[in-house]
Amino acid sequence: MKFENVQCKDVMVYICENLKEDIDSERCRAIRHHIETCGSCSDYSASIECIIDWYREYDPGFSDELHNNLLKKLDLE
Amino acid sequence: MSEEKLIELAKTGDRDALRDLVKKYEKTLYSFAFKICRNREKAENVMQETFLSMLRSLKGFDGNSKLSTWLYRISVNHCLMSARKAKKDMFVEPDDDEELFSERHAADWSTIPYKSVENQELREILDRSIDKLAPEYRIVFTLRDVQQLSTEETAGITGLSVPAVKSRLHRARAFLRNEISKEFQR
Repeated sequence: MKFENVQCKDVMVYICENLKEDIDSERCRAIRHHIETCGSCSDYSASIECIIDWYREYDPGFSDELHNNLLKKLDLE
Repeated sequence: MSEEKLIELAKTGDRDALRDLVKKYEKTLYSFAFKICRNREKAENVMQETFLSMLRSLKGFDGNSKLSTWLYRISVNHCLMSARKAKKDMFVEPDDDEELFSERHAADWSTIPYKSVENQELREILDRSIDKLAPEYRIVFTLRDVQQLSTEETAGITGLSVPAVKSRLHRARAFLRNEISKEFQR
């Protein structure tokens, strides 16, 4: 894939392959180059990273009660 | 003690080793199940059923995959069984790339404040957006982006092809972005 042939739509479809990864294929270099030079795709990439970070940080918690219920259920008390 | 040794002992019925394995994975599996099921009671049930399956089948675990991968696979099956009981029209399956792409340009992300997920408003928006996403897409998004497994591992766990994992992932991400944008613009 040549640099000049990358479209914004390609970025959305293929971003899953290079987001936060360092894949040194010609296509990934072309997509990275496009993201760096296209404001819309740069914003898109940053917003996706932000959503991923939010859901990674999302902690439902884990109580002693959950742990104790589990051991009881498994008969491992 | 290494995980291999713990598994070896657990296979003989060693209760301390079994407890150690449970302790090692309980929080991860509960958090994973919650992020798929979006309900504390269901997540607890999925976690319990996953470990019960582990106890029943551990002797057959051949060690060709990581124990965590094996547990995720069992957990995914229980999550999907749980989801099948829910009404189909509760969820959106973002399978139209053209629509996702056109919505992408309608979504003005520049107004979105980059807050911590501890922020109550953001958490509620995230909850509502993820609740709409079909569980099959949530599973791929969570395995790949949250648990940070590889595309190949995600494919192995879900039984999907690598291209199907990539497709569901980019659609899940685009859908969530569009939904969150809409919520902030209300």
